[in-house]
Amino acid sequence: MGIEVVNLTKSFGSGVTAVKDLSFSIAPGKVTGFLGPNGSGKTTTLRCLLGLVSPTSGSATIDGQAYRELTNPISVVGASLEASGFHPARTARNHLRILAVVAGIPNSRVDQVLHTVGLSESANRKVGGYSLGMRQRLALAVALLGNPKVLILDEPANGLDPEGISWLRSFLQHQAGLGVTVLVSSHVLSEVQQTVDNVIIIRSGSLVYQGSLASLTDGGPLEVVVRGPHIERLKEVPGWNTRAGETGSLIITGVSAAEIGHRAFTESVELHELREKTPDLEAMFLGLTQSEGSES
Amino acid sequence: MISLVKSEFLKAFTTKLLFILTLSALAFVLLTVVLGVYLTPGPPGQEDVNILMEPAAVTNIFSSAGGASVFVLILGIIAMSGEYRNQTITSTFLATPKRQRVIIAKMIAYSILAFVIALIMWIATVAVATVLLSTVEHAPIEWAAVFEILGGALLGLVLYAILGVAIGALITNQVAAIVIALVWIFVVEALLTIFVDWIGKWLPGGALNSILQATNTSGFGGTDALSVPAAALVLIAYTVVLSIAAIVMTNRKDIT
Repeated sequence: MGIEVVNLTKSFGSGVTAVKDLSFSIAPGKVTGFLGPNGSGKTTTLRCLLGLVSPTSGSATIDGQAYRELTNPISVVGASLEASGFHPARTARNHLRILAVVAGIPNSRVDQVLHTVGLSESANRKVGGYSLGMRQRLALAVALLGNPKVLILDEPANGLDPEGISWLRSFLQHQAGLGVTVLVSSHVLSEVQQTVDNVIIIRSGSLVYQGSLASLTDGGPLEVVVRGPHIERLKEVPGWNTRAGETGSLIITGVSAAEIGHRAFTESVELHELREKTPDLEAMFLGLTQSEGSES
Repeated sequence: MISLVKSEFLKAFTTKLLFILTLSALAFVLLTVVLGVYLTPGPPGQEDVNILMEPAAVTNIFSSAGGASVFVLILGIIAMSGEYRNQTITSTFLATPKRQRVIIAKMIAYSILAFVIALIMWIATVAVATVLLSTVEHAPIEWAAVFEILGGALLGLVLYAILGVAIGALITNQVAAIVIALVWIFVVEALLTIFVDWIGKWLPGGALNSILQATNTSGFGGTDALSVPAAALVLIAYTVVLSIAAIVMTNRKDIT
């Protein structure tokens, strides 16, 4: 099941426009990262998609249907929106039972999802005593309860320890492998970098990029770092665009490493390092989301 | 709808609130009974007259059961506004995006709970009042009138629970909702009644007192009361209007 957001705009009464004419679509059976800095409108977009917030204009649909029109929504879409949405005096199991009853889901499924997220042993403890990481796991258990075809997770890695993050990664990939459409939001690219197939990047409520992570870095100029005692001689090669790098290195743009190595060899320039710079995704991401500086 | 009501019962029984409020209501009601039997003063100037020789005064002791109404109102308010306070409203509306179904299910669940609470208050009031009355000199208990009052308490408590849910949906800040409701009942309505006597019986608290046939002791309901059926209709009208407003507001609300 795909997700379609068309010309979505949401202004709140306070005059804040959280989402501005946002359009994107999400392919079924893939993990898509929904990225943007804090306050860029990610959560508002997700809440519009989930029928919790009414759009000012435009639409957000799941498999062509508005969330509020779905007959048994939690069996279609599983969502986790914030880690704090639990009554502190209630146990994890009771939270899940309350939601399971509504959708006619048996208690055995409740125990199953608690096991999946690793909360079986804490299931009968009050959520008030949970760590942030445990709350995240419980939120994920809520999302999984109806065995949904679409998973929408808002900042699911927040508060997880490194082990938890790595577990979440493989879990999401496993879900996508089963044909589940996964939309996972984050304000940190590195959190989702290894998990996602595609990314949607927004800034100040507007789309700045939609596509694969790989093509995000396509088209950037090739840069090669060279280091050595006499590298200043390479600056004089006609047609080469060079600039100083860190700690006395030289960065040459637009020429392959092989070509530079050959030139250095024929000119007898001693090289201690010759390395193609890998594209810095984080820098690309920051560039996209903060290029105008004034917004964050 | 049955599964939604079941879900509401699960919510109610998985925290201590219901238990605590029921016990508090019971303590309050029984205290009122004790005070009614032992400390009811005679009219001014005749303080040493035993007012319990009046059948109406004896009957009035049984209207103490209706004192649980404020607790049931708070129970309804917290049941609804508590979902906003703890942000469980998000998962509630994700599971049931047709929000009016959640509100109606909550109203049904809390009507049933209020009915049971009213029965508990009933039994406790009758048991304690008859035992305590046997220790003092009093006019005979008019059981027909007593049962009429207790029937009124059942209806009043059920309607107050529904009103509470509606108030909690309209004022989602839990503390504000409780404070506004209590200030309304104990201050606004009392003051309005002092200044405009006839208005009291048309207000929710005054209507409830008419249903309970409680003697007017604190200004609620004014000096004259509506008949029980008329008062019931007034209170039902408030409940319906506020419930519709609650459903309309909730459906329009952005859950952020």
